[in-house]
Amino acid sequence: MMLSIKNLHASIGEKEILKGINLEVKAGEVHAIMGPNGSGKSTLASVLAGRADYEVTSGTVEFQGKDLLELAPEERAAEGLFLAFQYPIEIPGVSTTNFMKSAVNEIRKYRGEEPLDAVQFLKMFKEKMSYVNIDQSLLSRALNEGFSGGEKKRNEIFQMAVLEPKLAILDETDSGLDIDALRIVAEGVNKLKSPDNATIVVTHYQRLLDYIIPDFVHVLYKGKIVKSGGKELALELEERGYDWIISALGE
Amino acid sequence: MLYTELTSSTQKEALERFKAKGFPTNKWEEWKYASLKSWNEREVEWTPSALNEASEASLQTQNGNTTFTGILPAGVEFLLFDQFLATNPAMAAKWEQRFPILDQNSLYDLNAALVANTHVLWVKAGVSVDDAISHDFILSVKKASAIQSRLIVFLEADASLTLIERAYTSAGSEEVLSNFVQEIYVSEKANLTYVKEQDLAQNTTHIDHTFITQLSDSQVDLFTFSLNAAYLRNNLHFYSDGERVMSNLNGLYVPGEDQLMDSHTVVDHRKPNSESHELYKGVLMGNATGVFNGKIFVRPDAQKTNAFQSCKNVLASTRATMNTKPQLEIWADDVKCSHGTTTGQLNEDALFYLRSRGISLANARTLLLLAFVQEVIDRVTHEETKLRLTDKIISKIQTSLAI
Repeated sequence: MMLSIKNLHASIGEKEILKGINLEVKAGEVHAIMGPNGSGKSTLASVLAGRADYEVTSGTVEFQGKDLLELAPEERAAEGLFLAFQYPIEIPGVSTTNFMKSAVNEIRKYRGEEPLDAVQFLKMFKEKMSYVNIDQSLLSRALNEGFSGGEKKRNEIFQMAVLEPKLAILDETDSGLDIDALRIVAEGVNKLKSPDNATIVVTHYQRLLDYIIPDFVHVLYKGKIVKSGGKELALELEERGYDWIISALGE
Repeated sequence: MLYTELTSSTQKEALERFKAKGFPTNKWEEWKYASLKSWNEREVEWTPSALNEASEASLQTQNGNTTFTGILPAGVEFLLFDQFLATNPAMAAKWEQRFPILDQNSLYDLNAALVANTHVLWVKAGVSVDDAISHDFILSVKKASAIQSRLIVFLEADASLTLIERAYTSAGSEEVLSNFVQEIYVSEKANLTYVKEQDLAQNTTHIDHTFITQLSDSQVDLFTFSLNAAYLRNNLHFYSDGERVMSNLNGLYVPGEDQLMDSHTVVDHRKPNSESHELYKGVLMGNATGVFNGKIFVRPDAQKTNAFQSCKNVLASTRATMNTKPQLEIWADDVKCSHGTTTGQLNEDALFYLRSRGISLANARTLLLLAFVQEVIDRVTHEETKLRLTDKIISKIQTSLAI
């Protein structure tokens, strides 16, 4: 089992957002987490990546046999977890390439591997840039600063390609993208898919799932997974909305 | 309180003025956060011993004694300032019109009274000095001492000079209070770039007074990089006394545990059509204290002045303090002036973003702090100095954050 979430509860301040999440993800699988606004989708993604704003009040998360909740965000990354941000942060004064060089070499150090040199980086970056059709000039600029919505999301997938995570969590990666950008981003994600890694796609809309086909679809509502199914569930949600699930819960 | 054989009446008078006031205390408005009160009661050596540390810089100030070693560039002279004034009456007359010492500043008197010698670095009209002149300012004493140093830089019309100053304390030195006065005269169309690197020991108190007079069409780019010292005070005064004068003031201070760094700047616009740009940035770590006090005067005749001031600070520790006070006094009506100061913490979202990619908290903080200070470093055009400063600042930040 790659990821095993058991009875996960998390709060921000006094407010409980996640109220008992159970989820298992195996290598090679793509899981979609859908749900109406405010259901806790982004919170789940943030808690898994280790954002300090949220407090885990109970439950466990095991990632490749390790207690994920015990690890600092950078250790989670080094263990192979990746979060593509819904709103990538603009960081003036730090270029994407320098940032990625630091990240890759710190992760390699964590794993006891030799650092890459400038030539190896150049070669690797060049290959990964082609995955998301991103060019050098963008990567030399300050990280995300003044990037368009599409450029920011492509930059996220570029970083994912460079870091080659075991588990990628895409948090609303489709938001703010036009159909062409969406296709480029989805193609990038699909190229990175392998039997050894897994993907969790967090999305409000079904349209991203036309391009990234999920093996499982889960509906998150009020901090709990209230329904799970195959990819056909996403289509049904697209057609019927969330109300029929909510009313079936007796609410 | 102190005794010395003073020969000139000017020195005696200066000493009397100093004695009447003493070292600045926190009751003095301009020294509120940077009191030197304790020095009023200290037993210190007032005439420090001669020093001869190895240094490759052509211009050296060792325990207050300034010398020029090696070959002077063509068109540059180095001589005692009295001699310069006596043999150049025209320039002596101009000198009389220089920056008046405005603020209550007993340390200026102390320096005038006790400084051993005052030399002038003199760049003659039309001379452009190609290679930067390095100035090593070295302190090293065997017994707690107060050291007075003074240097005059005189640029005639159309002259051009780059000065790279490095102030440091030798290893093993006892406690020292260093009181350094510089007066710089930049004539018409002259151009001065001056980089100050202040990397002194934790038992050093260093006060730098730099008074700059600029005439029409001149440009000065001044950089103050404050890296280390228990106490660093920079009094930087620009007297913009010509038209189309360009004054650029750049400062970066990175105080750590038990360090205080205080920047007091004055830009005094006296004539029309001139500009000043002031960019100061600070990273405060440990229990450091920072002070920025920036005054801009725009006198009634100084129409069409553009004067801009910005001071931005990051508190990289919950125990650090920053005090900022911008002061604008504008008497002309057709001017463009702005000022802004900010003091904040590192952006938590940015830190999380970097960490989520595998960068450790310590490195993420260093990376963001460097990105923050880079703007000031990047303005240094002397490559070798820029690289050295970058390395020193990285190591200072890493060391201070690790505590």
